[in-house]
Amino acid sequence: MSGLTVAFAGLTHLGIVSAAAAAEHCDRVIGYDADAGRVADLAAGRLPIEEPGLADLVAKGGNRLTWTSDVGALRSADLVYVSIDVPTDAKGVSDLRSVEAIVERVMPALSEDAVLIVLCQVPPGFTRRIPRPAATRYYQVETLIFGRAVERARQPERFIVGAADPSRPLPSSYHRFLSSFGCPILPMRYESAELAKTAINIFLAAQVTATNTLAELCEVTGADWNEIVPSLRLDARIGRYAYLAPGLGLSGGNIERDIVTLTRIAAERGTDGGLLEAFAANADYRKDWVLRALHHKVMDKSPNPVVALWGLAYKIGTHSTRNAPSVALLSALPTVRFRACDPVAELPSGGFPNLERFDDPIETVRGAAALVVLTPWPEYRDANPGAIARAMAGRVILDPFRHLDHAALVRSGLRPSALGVSQ
Amino acid sequence: MLVHSLEVETSPDRVVVLGARGFIGAALVAGLASDDVPSLALDRTRLDLLASNAASTLAGFILPTDCLVVISALTPDRGKDAATLMKNLSMGQAVADAIAAAPPAHVVYVSSDAVYPDDAALADERTPAAPASFHGQMHLVRETMLAAVFRGPMARLRPSLVYGRGDTHNGYGPNRFLREGQAGNPIKLFGQGEEMRDHISIDDVVELIRRTIRKRSSGVLNLVTGRSASFRDVAVAVGHALGRQVEIVGAPRGGPITHRHYDVAARIRAFPDFTPLDLQSGLARALG
Repeated sequence: MSGLTVAFAGLTHLGIVSAAAAAEHCDRVIGYDADAGRVADLAAGRLPIEEPGLADLVAKGGNRLTWTSDVGALRSADLVYVSIDVPTDAKGVSDLRSVEAIVERVMPALSEDAVLIVLCQVPPGFTRRIPRPAATRYYQVETLIFGRAVERARQPERFIVGAADPSRPLPSSYHRFLSSFGCPILPMRYESAELAKTAINIFLAAQVTATNTLAELCEVTGADWNEIVPSLRLDARIGRYAYLAPGLGLSGGNIERDIVTLTRIAAERGTDGGLLEAFAANADYRKDWVLRALHHKVMDKSPNPVVALWGLAYKIGTHSTRNAPSVALLSALPTVRFRACDPVAELPSGGFPNLERFDDPIETVRGAAALVVLTPWPEYRDANPGAIARAMAGRVILDPFRHLDHAALVRSGLRPSALGVSQ
Repeated sequence: MLVHSLEVETSPDRVVVLGARGFIGAALVAGLASDDVPSLALDRTRLDLLASNAASTLAGFILPTDCLVVISALTPDRGKDAATLMKNLSMGQAVADAIAAAPPAHVVYVSSDAVYPDDAALADERTPAAPASFHGQMHLVRETMLAAVFRGPMARLRPSLVYGRGDTHNGYGPNRFLREGQAGNPIKLFGQGEEMRDHISIDDVVELIRRTIRKRSSGVLNLVTGRSASFRDVAVAVGHALGRQVEIVGAPRGGPITHRHYDVAARIRAFPDFTPLDLQSGLARALG
């Protein structure tokens, strides 16, 4: 796409992945961040985040992709995305100050014709308040999923675009850029687009909550959720892509943040937010599945056991431990000695004195009363059940996502437990 | 939901126990004695919380380094009416006034799970309190009364159905069933005893209070086992504990069946190495 320069202001997960994907579609992509150290790392090829396929995509961008901490470099851009991940506090409340700050910082640097596009997760009304002419001010929904961010940035399902007047055509530069991805473009008013991302997450939360509620019922009624799932997938009203894998509540923070945001808006505007509160309560409750199971199966008999953890990241394909079950478990049981491994994730040094790290999964379980599989990294599946059984002192395996071969574990004398099946 | 002020368990200089002759109070005083923790056991003979000078008298007992454990209350077997409610609130007001005048280092208020709505089938410390009974309302108001005047660490402990030796009540459940069984009488159930409830041994209640004292904890904690059983199952377990066949008879049911279970994640977090007695072991201890 000759002649088009696209910039991304804010180089957190969202900005880096989006910039790398954009480089496949235009001649020049500028990644801007005020953090000179971060920019220097990126310029030197050191990625500050872990995301499958990202290193290759950045390398593929070559000279088309440049990183800078000079806000003046944005003057040459036709499109400027505000692309930082919105930080949230421990309760999932979004802190929009960083978005507001970056908007304030970049606007004076833009050319008059440049189109400013907010790509961050913001509440309804945010983009309309930005003091920039409506013809060059847009909102676009991001659909980043940790671990699948590259795939989704390169092959989006659709573009949801918020505009002051959705009946008017998009600026030609913006339209050309989006069209190059070959997916539908859905223009709507700002507030609809801002709420659309939240709406997607709320529907996902509904599916996750229904799945987790039913999975727990399976655990106490003799049913097996895995046997039920195919019948739901074949129901056209539910569908093959529905979120039907039981989980430890909601994790990662984005869906929780949207629940918190909408609950607050519902309270402010006087609409019924009871369902949202129920999602949040169920998520909190199911997050403690491992804690309860560990206490019931191990600590009831041995109050201060050694417990092995396979996986610290909140999901595979990412280094992130934000809102990860591992962190919650380590925090909840400071008197328990944990032995853990994870191929990627790091925890703050000194943050968990009760944790010892290992590289080898079998070495990790040595002498442990229980093994807890919290991140289903593929290499764990290759671990020999006999070797696990020989290394462990106890027999309890808590494998909530049923990542391991439970039949093989049972044959080795181990006692695996998973979400959605009677123990 | 319970936050510990002390990382390492440390006994206070002294524990003042209000309601020291009651079921829980007497067991706690005995437990403190076995820990060699000095206590001041106050019962109605030494301090009538309904007396006009109760607040000043109590304030005279409290030292700034004390842990004050408030258990004293007129329980439902002493009255379920509005008059009993008002007496209980007057007692609570006297304690609140005393705390305001002579604040201790730590307050532990022994409340009740009656503060939760009857239809809360799965409850935890975040379950909104919406008591239906005067008894539950009384505890909720008294919790609020004390919190309103005390700025230091205050724990609100909400036990479920407590059973065990020294029970001064005869409420529906393990204690009454044990008495009926020991007397050779049939155990009488409401309906077929289908309702699931969380029954906790007095020994576990005392242990959790002692831990709360030693950690100078604040916040809310339900004193529950997390393992609910139907009244019929309790009756059967009583038969096993007595070592003989016990006749169990049902009766026409007056109201709808409700169940109560507890999520104990907060307790696990507060006291990871605490494990409650199972029902059979608790009944065996109750029999001595």
